[in-house]
This record gives sequence, C-alpha cells and structure tokens, in this order.
Amino acid sequence: MLAPITYIQPHATIRRPRRLSVEGEVLVSEGDQVHSGDVIARANLAAEHMMLDATRALGLNPERASKMIQRNVGEKVDAGAIIAGRRGVGARQLRSPAKGTIAAISEGQILLQVSDERAELHARVPGEVIDVEAGRGVVIECVCAWVQGVWGNGRVADGILHLVGNGAEQILTADQIDMSLRGAILLAGHCGQRQALELAAQVPIRGLILGSLTTRLLPIAEKVPYPILVMEGFGTGPMNADAFTLFSDHKQAQTTLNAQRTDPISGERPEVIIPLKDAGRPPQPIELQTFRVGQNVRLLNGEYKGELGEIVSLLPASTLYASGLRAPGAEVELASGQATTIPLANLELLG
Amino acid sequence: MSESNGKPSLSLVSLEIGSVNTRAQFFDSVEGRYRFLAAGEAHSTVGSPAFDLNVGVLDALTQLQETTGRQLLSDRGLLISTDPEDTIGVNAVTTTFSGGTPLKVVTAGLLDGVSLKSVNKLVNTSYSHIVETFGLNDRRSPENIIDAICQHLPDLIVLAGGTNRGASRSVIRLANYLALALNLIPEKQRPAVLFVGNENLQEEIDNLLGSLTELHLVHNIRPSLDQESSAPAEARLADIYFSIQSRKLGGLEQLRDLSAGHLHPGANGFGRVIRFLSTVIDAPKGMLGVDIGASSITVASAFAGELEMRVYAGLGVGRGLTGMIAETHLQQITRWLPFDVSDDFVLDYLYNKPLFPHSLPATPEELAVEQAAARQAMRLAIGKSLPLFPADAIYPLPGTVPWFDRILVSGSAVTRAPRLEQSLLMILDAIQPVGITTIILDQNNLASSVGASAEIDPLMAVQVLESNAFVNLGTIISPVGAARSGSPILRIQMLRDGQKEPVVEIKEGGFSVLPLAPGKVADLYIHPLQNVNIGLGPGRGGWVRRVVGGVFGVVIDGRGRPVQVPTSFNRRQETLEAWHNALSGM
Repeated sequence: MLAPITYIQPHATIRRPRRLSVEGEVLVSEGDQVHSGDVIARANLAAEHMMLDATRALGLNPERASKMIQRNVGEKVDAGAIIAGRRGVGARQLRSPAKGTIAAISEGQILLQVSDERAELHARVPGEVIDVEAGRGVVIECVCAWVQGVWGNGRVADGILHLVGNGAEQILTADQIDMSLRGAILLAGHCGQRQALELAAQVPIRGLILGSLTTRLLPIAEKVPYPILVMEGFGTGPMNADAFTLFSDHKQAQTTLNAQRTDPISGERPEVIIPLKDAGRPPQPIELQTFRVGQNVRLLNGEYKGELGEIVSLLPASTLYASGLRAPGAEVELASGQATTIPLANLELLG
Repeated sequence: MSESNGKPSLSLVSLEIGSVNTRAQFFDSVEGRYRFLAAGEAHSTVGSPAFDLNVGVLDALTQLQETTGRQLLSDRGLLISTDPEDTIGVNAVTTTFSGGTPLKVVTAGLLDGVSLKSVNKLVNTSYSHIVETFGLNDRRSPENIIDAICQHLPDLIVLAGGTNRGASRSVIRLANYLALALNLIPEKQRPAVLFVGNENLQEEIDNLLGSLTELHLVHNIRPSLDQESSAPAEARLADIYFSIQSRKLGGLEQLRDLSAGHLHPGANGFGRVIRFLSTVIDAPKGMLGVDIGASSITVASAFAGELEMRVYAGLGVGRGLTGMIAETHLQQITRWLPFDVSDDFVLDYLYNKPLFPHSLPATPEELAVEQAAARQAMRLAIGKSLPLFPADAIYPLPGTVPWFDRILVSGSAVTRAPRLEQSLLMILDAIQPVGITTIILDQNNLASSVGASAEIDPLMAVQVLESNAFVNLGTIISPVGAARSGSPILRIQMLRDGQKEPVVEIKEGGFSVLPLAPGKVADLYIHPLQNVNIGLGPGRGGWVRRVVGGVFGVVIDGRGRPVQVPTSFNRRQETLEAWHNALSGM
C-alpha cells in the first residue's frame, strides 16, 4: 500500500510550480531570485464590467446593431466616446458612460471593462525561478530546511523564527507575547487561548507555527491576519520531536511560513521553509513509497497521536484493533521504547 | 465452460475509484451463477504524489491477485482475455469513479421553477458544485452575472430554457450573456457549455457559442412544461464529466481504454442498481439507496423504475465532514454517543478526520464519533432529498421519508462497522424509515460496480444482487403514531411453516425482535393499537405476506418518528445501550 508522507527535512531541494488560473502575464524570468511576497504574475480576471446594449440604444436588431458598433475589442475609450451609431447631429448613438476598455462584443451588446483590478500571483516560496511557462507561471526552486504541516489558514509571510519557551509541549499564552516579538514567526507546541491569537495580531507577529491548536479556536485562526500552520492537527498534543529538533536548530533564522491550504489533488500542503545559503542541492525527495519494516512513522490519531516510531513488523488485514475494526497494520516501536499495533491507515511515513 | 442462462459466463474485474480508496472487485461464475468472489483495496492515487490513478489501481489489483491466487497481472498490467474459459486474467473490466474534485458548474435557465429547476436537478446527479446559477428573474445586472461567471472560472456551464415550441428570444439573451462571459475568459480556460434547452434553437446557440468553446447540444430537458426528459442530458453530462476530469487527472483516459469505455460515475452505477431493484417492487412503494463516501453522499430513490438521484458533493465522512459540520449543531452528533466524552473530544475528531481522510478510528470512542457523524451526514442528505420523493408515494407520517419497500446502504462508514447491529442502528437512526422495510447492507460496497457491470451482462448484476454479497439485515416494521412510551402499539402473530406462533405485544419505545432466519419466509398478522400507522393507514393492519428473514429477523422499531434521544448523558447512555442490546440479543 502506498504510504502518505510528511516531510521533515533538515536539508532539501524543493520545487514549487506557481501558476495563474487563467492566462496572464509572468513578471519574472528564469534565474531570478524571488521572495515569498513577490508578485510573480498577474491576470486580468478580477476586472469589473459594464454592459452597453447597442440594440436598445439604436433601436435595431442584434445583426444590424452589431454592424453599427464602431469599436473593437481591446480598444480604450473615454467617457462620452461614441461606441455605436452614426456620427452627426440627431443620429442615434451609444456613448460610453465611463472610461474603459472594450472587453467583449456579442449580438449587439458590448462589455466595457471599467476597472483595472488584476488577480496577482505571489511566489509564496523564496528561491530561484528555474522555469517559466509564458503567460501562466513559473517553477521556483529552493534549497532549505523544510517541514510540512497538516493545516494552514491560507496566509504566507517571512520572518525570524522564534521559539516560545523550551520544549515541544510549550503552550502559547498571551503573557508570553510582547512587542519584542514584532515581526517574528513564533513556534510553540500548542495554543488554546483566544487572547494569545488576538494579541499576536496586535503586536503584530509575522506568523505562528503550532504542534496543535484547540479546535474551538479555528474560527479565530482563520481570521487573524498572520499565517498559522498546525503540525499535528487539532486538539491539545505537542509538536512531534523531529520537527521541534529541526526548528530548534534554526532559532532566529529567516523563515518563510507558507500556510497554504491542503489540496490533495495538487499535493499542496502548508509548509515551513528555512532557506539554506551556501548549501549543496540534495536530490528531491522520493515521493512514492510503500510501508516497510524499519521506516520511521508518525501516528495520526488515537492515544499516541503525534508520536513518532519505527515499523517493526507488518501485519495482515485480519488484524483486530481496540476500535473493533480489522485492517492491515504494523507493529510500531515508539520513541519511548513501547511497542503498539496501529492500522497502516493511521500512519504516515516521515520523509 | 461455465454458462449462465445459456450464455458463456464472463469473469470481470470492477474498479471502483473513490477519493480515498480504490477497490478492485472480482466477479466470476460459480456453479452457473455469477458471484462476487474477492476484492483488493488500496489508497486512491487521484492526486499528489502519484498523479496517476493507475498506481492505486495496480496496488488494488495486486492485492486482489494475492487474495484470489488467480493470475490477473502481467508486466504490462491487467490481463484481458476474450476466452471465457481462460483461468488467467479477466474477460471484462468496468470502472466507476467518484474521486477528483467536483466540477464547478454554472447553471442558467429561464424560470426558477421550470427549466432552472430541471437543470439544477440534472447537475445535482453528478459530482459537481453549482457555483453560480441565474435565470430571467435574476435581480442582478447582466454585467454582474457575467463578472460572477468569470470569477468562478467554472468547468462547465449548463444552459436550459424554452420548451420546444416555446421561448426563444429569452434563451438567446441568456446565451449571449454566456458568450460575453466566455469572451472574457482566456480561450484555454473557457468552460464547456451544455445546452439542454429548446431544440429549435440549437443552430442559433451553435452560431453564438460554438466558435467560443466546446459546445454540447442535447435533447431538451423540458420539451414541454409538464414533461421532463433528463436521460439524454445525464448521459452527456457523464461524458463531459470524464472529459473534464481526464484533462485534470492522470490515468483516467487509460482507465477508459482498459474498461473498453465502461467507465461510469460511481453514482450512475449506484442509481442503476436502485432503479433496477425498484422494478420488482409493487408501486406505490419504492426503493431507496444511500451511498455514503468520504467526500460525497448519493441518495437514489426509485418508484416503479423512475429514478431520482442526488449527489451531495462535499458531504461525507472524510473530507466531506467539513461540509457536514458547517450544517450541523454538535448536539446532533453527540446525541448518538454512548460514551461520556467531552464536546472537545468530538470536535477534535471531526476536524482532524478531514486532514487524514484515509485514517481509521483508533479507539471505541473514536469509532462511536465516526458512526455518529455518519448518521448525521446521512440524515442531512436524506433531509435535503425529501423534496425529491414523489408526492403520490405513501407517507404514514408527514415530514418523513415515504414508505420504501427496501433500503440499500453502501459505503464503508456503515459497512465496515465491527458489528452488524451497529450498521443497522446507523441506518435506522439516519433514515428513520416508515412502513415495512427490508434493509440491505452492501457490505462489500459493490452496488456501483454491479450497476456498471449490468452494461456488460445484465445477468451478472441480477445474480450478484441476489447473492449473499448483499446482506439482508432484516425486515423493519416502523409504526408511527401518538402513543405514549411503554404503551402497547401492535400485536403481531407470525405464521411460519403453516404454524401460528404466539401473539406478541409490542410497546412504544425501543426495539423488539422476532427471530426469522435469513432467507426464511413467514406471514405476519399485524394488529395496530392506538391508531398507529404501519403504512396501511392509521389503525389499519392485516396480513403481511411473505416476509423474508434477515440477520436480525423481523425488527419492530417502536421508537416513533422522529427518533428522540434523551439529552442527559446517563439516560442517553441507558437508551442507546438498550437499543443496541435489543438488536444484539444481549
């Protein structure tokens, strides 16, 4: 069975395709270095339009009205400019009610683009542009320390990584947040306090990495203006030991917190990227793996949720669990030395 | 050579690809009748990191090969043989698919209650989200509608409107809005358009939209005001669905080739089974099917071969929990929990499950939460489906489902329950049937595959449906009325093998079980008390002939409708345990 993988890598090469949803304009070139907040492409989809009806204005049927349109798609017009009709005193005319651009014409009806708002595509990850697809997007490569999370609130920011307290179990509370943390990306084991999230927004911090988040705080976490990434899931558990160790090795490092939403189709997941300067380019991680004895795994739920261990043996589909369910599984030796039997469905490989 | 009904019988693998799991199911002839023999299961590889459905398919087939001991695979993939006598490979393959992101669809029609209603109903039979809908009575300005279409960037636009002798200018006006919107969207990202309106306008619609995007013209979904004809549109919609998904998902096109075109949306296969089963039921009673998946729930009902189906994309017990939570008070889930767990425990489970949709409950408490969530998800889907059920069906109690003769439930949240009484309770609590109903559990999740395989050999579908692959959980009698708890509501006497058994008095509240072994047949004389209704009318009873026994025999669900669960934990636990024990015979 193919195994899901969560990556916690001290030294990785990651590549991130960034594409516009529709054709637009790419603003960077191959070889360019980009930051997470850079606009790398934009498209014209967010514009507003006005519909002008030449059939009504001229009192003609669509076919005849179409012939009277004097403008072409893409043409810019000023307010009051004649769009359709004959020139001359007393002639019925359709004039533009605003300054804009003719965006589309069909059956005697004209769409005038009146705003120039554009959809912008941000890099979201720092690194080098290694490929450009004209009009659509780029691929960005980054050599970094890299950790994937399981939930993000959709935002992205850069900042200096700051560990709150000393351990993976550290609970973030409002009294630990002050103005000295302005601009920092905070890291803690857990947060269950609404005031802490709100105070962090007032400081403001640049981002928050948590092992777990109290489920009831989810609506607040969705609203705060800074990115939040959760490593293990919702509830009260600590951050897993491997991730915490990696973060501890990068205290005060410039960090990108890309708390994007998980998309199972594209494979996008929230992630923490700590760029490594002057480091070699290790190969990209192997993504297709099956469960095997000796692999390091993370437990996804139940009593040992978030704990790490090693697969000692694989077990058949008839294996019975405490829930009463039967499923293929594995005997896992936890970091504490304790052994337990877990369904494969409740394990993720650590990449 | 094995034969079924004089024809050489075929061996068949059915691939069922969902958003979380991929199953390979093997069917072959045993002693002249088709049987489901084995299945292999793997994680679906719809998206990252494999980006190829066939990786999961191969994984499931490898498991199937190991289970059956039959050589199914070579180094070039699944072995297909045209010789029914071959003992390696299979003769045919079908695929049902419900994975992938639901299509984003814009619907347009003239009148809300007519063409727009029909077109929305059509789209709701597929794995789709209607992201925008507009009609003639839309109060927004045309430019706002056009901007909304562009901002959603849909996969598909479905346009209806006008009977075949009816409106034309208004339909063209709507089509022109679409033309303007399509002009604003870059060519490569333009949605396909399906036109299911006035057939006399097809040429004009083609002139208007055909040069702008991929245009599909099919028969009018509302040829006249009082007639709805959705079958051609449904078939084309399924084609378009796969065409769009094939562009997004690696491996789907190869699966279509492997299946020699027998590729169906999972819901369509499921609906076909429900429709078929309804044809052997006496009207006005019908057949109900519920298929609960990780990301969607399908509710299909059929009366005398007339199918109504709806896919609730975004409602389920994996990623679909997010959709369920958004429409649910926590108490609607916790009321089904026999454990004293905190609300936070329940919330944590419900919000973590969509993060790891393939995960299994690890403890009895987590299992109970998942089963409670499955009840609520099905209950929501059933509630939303009430308007789809025909008005001329039998409704012993207003506001409930009508009397269904049989209810078939599929989906691993229900079928993988460690104990069958858990499955039965989930079904009864969620659907809360009325009348006299046989509950069928699709314990191997075969229904979609069986429906799809009917295209290759209808006999296969019939014989597998008749086999023990589908478990008859029992005949459920659900009296409804205004009786007080503990008061007598029915007297039942069973006539078995020509022998009358003692009269049993049933009281309001809880379950009563009359043993009747699976496959055994008996007649029941039912005498309602206190004017309760068992589907024959208030206080009306009589002989109910040829009741077939199931795993739980004949079950009288005397809990009334809607089922009430005490709010205090101690009483709730006592009640839920009593219901469970009544069925398990403890």
